[in-house]
Amino acid sequence: MKSWSSVPVVLMMSVSLVALTACEEPKVGASIYESLDQCKRDTFSTPDQCEGSFKEARNQHATVAPKYSSEADCQADFGAGKCETAPYKTSNGGSVFMPLMMGYMMGSMIGGRRSMMSQPLYRSAKSPNSFRTAENRNVGAKTGRTNVAKSATSRPTFKSATRSRGGFGSSSRRFGSSAT
Amino acid sequence: MQRIPMTERPNLAGIAAEHDLEYIAGKGITGWDESAYYQFTMRQIEEDIEGPAEEIEDLCFQVVDRAVNNEEVLRRLGIAEPFWDYIAESWRNGEKNLYGRMDLSYQGKGPVKLLEYNADTPTALYESAVFQWEWLEHATELKLIPQGCDQLNDVHESIVQTFPQLNIETLSHFACNQVFEDDKGTLEYLEECAREAGLETCFLAMEDIGVDDQGRFTDLDDRVITTLVKLYPWEWIMAEDFGRHVPASGVQFIEPPWKAILSNKGLMPLLWGMFEGHPNLLPAFFEDDPAAAAFADTGSYVRKPMLSRQGANIEIVHEGKTLCHSDGPYANDVHILQGFQPLPEFDGGYPLLGCWLVASKAVGLCVREDRTLVTGKGARFVPHVILD
Repeated sequence: MKSWSSVPVVLMMSVSLVALTACEEPKVGASIYESLDQCKRDTFSTPDQCEGSFKEARNQHATVAPKYSSEADCQADFGAGKCETAPYKTSNGGSVFMPLMMGYMMGSMIGGRRSMMSQPLYRSAKSPNSFRTAENRNVGAKTGRTNVAKSATSRPTFKSATRSRGGFGSSSRRFGSSAT
Repeated sequence: MQRIPMTERPNLAGIAAEHDLEYIAGKGITGWDESAYYQFTMRQIEEDIEGPAEEIEDLCFQVVDRAVNNEEVLRRLGIAEPFWDYIAESWRNGEKNLYGRMDLSYQGKGPVKLLEYNADTPTALYESAVFQWEWLEHATELKLIPQGCDQLNDVHESIVQTFPQLNIETLSHFACNQVFEDDKGTLEYLEECAREAGLETCFLAMEDIGVDDQGRFTDLDDRVITTLVKLYPWEWIMAEDFGRHVPASGVQFIEPPWKAILSNKGLMPLLWGMFEGHPNLLPAFFEDDPAAAAFADTGSYVRKPMLSRQGANIEIVHEGKTLCHSDGPYANDVHILQGFQPLPEFDGGYPLLGCWLVASKAVGLCVREDRTLVTGKGARFVPHVILD
């Protein structure tokens, strides 16, 4: 199972890339809230929008959050007390763990339509001030109206707990190229 | 159809480097030969190649339609029983196909003959779609070829236009065995086309694909794979350990599972069985079919394994004598016999035409030339033009 603790090496490399390309990365407007209440207190959003977006993010949480077969691994990435049991079981009946949802991000209203789907946000143990998407994209520490990289707003994918790898590839090792 | 010698563009080494192609001093670009080009007339392209290729595609679909309703046919093709329903469903649900390459024998006149259909994992796509087109533009500019030359080449635009029609909703994964340049190059190019079409993509090696407890496939970040564009043959996927998870994986595969019926050389006897005498088909029989013995008695035929790749294990018998016999790892496979339609010879080379189909439309042409009648790994891509 992949853990986020293995991520920083990759992140360090990509941070320098981001620094180089930051000025070119297109940004889009979004609103980030720690909780439904915080959203409702914000004058930019109506209570209905807050409710709807929160629900949309909450509904995705269990599927898109990163998964762990060990609670300790999960806490190493997200902090003590910051993990919960996921509604899944491993093949031998063991529990699956995932980080708590720490906030959510909703699209801004453009001409009465929201610019993107809402999605849940997380905070890692290494940089607890920033929010991260389920795709491990940093969307900053600011709540309320903000701008985030457009690439961070794509729909999060379903995360699962990989049981095994390497079940494909043997024919190619035997026969060679797939080319025809 | 003529083979016209020409002067190579200057600085081929630099051009190769720009396109990430291998260049060896004294030998040129690996797999590419621009010391000549093939010239076709518009009539040859439209009437002898494009039209017949799309007609053959239609015949192929009739074969698939029959195969998915006939267990005996699926068994003959060597497709394992656990995949019968899966393949049939993929066809009945209209799962969309992206591309394929038909290998055709053509003499410049008379009907083209289908030798086989690389319907699942065709390569040389980048050379056909991009490199060959750029050659045409450069060579025209440098006046190395006559003014006004065209090319059968809408491959790039067609692929970019087809991706959005494949109903891909989220991230799509692209997988192959990256050790092989042909495979990796072709897949990277497809990925580039998908991005140009606005899709989000992620590359991973076939061997890095994981499986979760529900039998869904995952990538290295534990993301569940929902769409897999694979440059990896269906027969290998079905035979390998994780193949058993495929039918319930919920993955949209490109090419779709029903392509397993077309990429198999068992297609050739199936086509002949249904459309015997069709001008673009050669007689073909499964080797264990009694009709094959009578056919072999004519003394002229080609014997091919059902699932070989890159011209491996192909034997050509003409007038009772073996003309050619290539090696390979597929000798123990079930074989078919097919009528022998020799490739034409031009200056010691034997050109094999490849007609590219994208979303079942004939949109591109490549000519690959080998020094033997069997087009194998040593084949070189020779560009083409259309000029009347």
